[in-house]
Amino acid sequence: MDMKKRGRRTGAFEVVTVTAATVTVLFIFLAMAGIVIKGIPSLPEIRDSEEVRFAMKLSLWTSLVSTMICLLLGVPTAYAVTRPSFRLRRLYEVIVEIPLSVPNIMLGLSLMILFASAPGKFLSAHGFRVIFHVNGIVTAHLFVNLSFVIHMIKTTFMDMDPHLELVAGSLGAPPWKRFCLVTLPLARNAIIGAGILAWSRALGEFGATLMLVGATRMKTETLPTSIFLNMSTGDTGEALACAVILLAISGVSQLAAGLLTRSNAGRGTGVHI
Amino acid sequence: MISVQQYSVTLGDFQLKDISLDIGDREIFALIGRTGSGKSVLLESLAGFYNTYGGNVLYNGISVSGIPLEQRRIGYVYQNYCLFPHMNVLDNVEFGLRMHKVPKKQRRETALNMLQSLGIEHLADRRPDTLSGGEQQRCALARALVLEPEILFMDEPFSALDPNTRKDMYRLIRSIHENYACTIVFVTHDFREAAELADRVGIIIHGSLKEICPADQLFLPHEDEEVNAFVHGRSPEPPAAMTA
Repeated sequence: MDMKKRGRRTGAFEVVTVTAATVTVLFIFLAMAGIVIKGIPSLPEIRDSEEVRFAMKLSLWTSLVSTMICLLLGVPTAYAVTRPSFRLRRLYEVIVEIPLSVPNIMLGLSLMILFASAPGKFLSAHGFRVIFHVNGIVTAHLFVNLSFVIHMIKTTFMDMDPHLELVAGSLGAPPWKRFCLVTLPLARNAIIGAGILAWSRALGEFGATLMLVGATRMKTETLPTSIFLNMSTGDTGEALACAVILLAISGVSQLAAGLLTRSNAGRGTGVHI
Repeated sequence: MISVQQYSVTLGDFQLKDISLDIGDREIFALIGRTGSGKSVLLESLAGFYNTYGGNVLYNGISVSGIPLEQRRIGYVYQNYCLFPHMNVLDNVEFGLRMHKVPKKQRRETALNMLQSLGIEHLADRRPDTLSGGEQQRCALARALVLEPEILFMDEPFSALDPNTRKDMYRLIRSIHENYACTIVFVTHDFREAAELADRVGIIIHGSLKEICPADQLFLPHEDEEVNAFVHGRSPEPPAAMTA
């Protein structure tokens, strides 16, 4: 009886954590609610806007392409930097994580310097333009998100029992089959989650993109660029409507990530994002 | 035959020092030592799981480092069994056959026969996380044995089992040894287990293989004082069959 009473009592620690959580949730909710309340009435204004349609298509396309490249590069990189047998892994790990702590605008600046240099000019001369070009949007997204994706997936690979691969090897699986048939399925949730979040982050990326491709209407205009351009010209309604679209896409992707990873949670992999 | 020649490996602060050892074909060899003495590291070394080391581990005269892991014809059962959590029991057992490109129908039949011989055919569709320790152990054994390995390595395979299941597993290991004619090397910290199952026992203390003795002489006095202190200081009494 006494135990039951003690179990129900709310301790000071619980009060502190729940209060902090409530303040956090209120802060996020109120900031987002402002956009929704102000932006929804403006949505009919942009229904026939060719510019917004262009920005939406460009955002969706570039973010999708950059996310695919991110995963194609990120999954094997995350694997390599978690293998003790890889001698340079410490150095690689440090280099790979640098962009995580650098502002996006600086990442964009570094890309601009890179692609304005001799190798960049060589690529441009051979048909791969980056500066002030749509390719630059994908490159900027990639640079901003790659370290993030690697970091997310790396954590899962590190948590995985390395003996599983050794056992698979002893059963006759060559290295790439150990990876594809054992490691990859166990990291599935983390990879799906990282992909969805990377896509969502790419949709909202602005700093690095602005530095590399500028903000040209109907040319390099993504949804965040559209918000920036419309705010600059005083068209607050259109800017807020674009913000609502971004918020909706972000919300849907978060929901999808939650549902996809939850549907796999009962598979007993012990891997969570 | 497994031959270990002046083998050393360093893992952080721990070092396995200058190990020399021969294990014969079809022998059951136990590695015994205190927790942290290096017996599991030695077992993994025998399986060739470490890349950088000094000395040599040879299988029938061929250096293990020269044989790709997938071609070594070994079975390895870890203490926590390491079943693939995303596959059911049947898929776990079929995995090795699939890697060896056995046709689907034949591999299913072989895997089911193996499950049947270990008495776990009723668990074929179950996920590893729904099995008890003993069931997981049988599944891990079935997965390793279905390929008829030349050497079976087991790292403290019975430590998580209750005494009755453990006795069942001893019987099972003996019958596996009889039927599959494989060399078995296992790690344990249980003197009785080593004496009951093995032909010979290797005693490891602080990363050194101090002594190798026939299993029936494990409880007799040893020349090395450290070995004596370890064996007689920890073991209450030898099994009844050995004192008779």
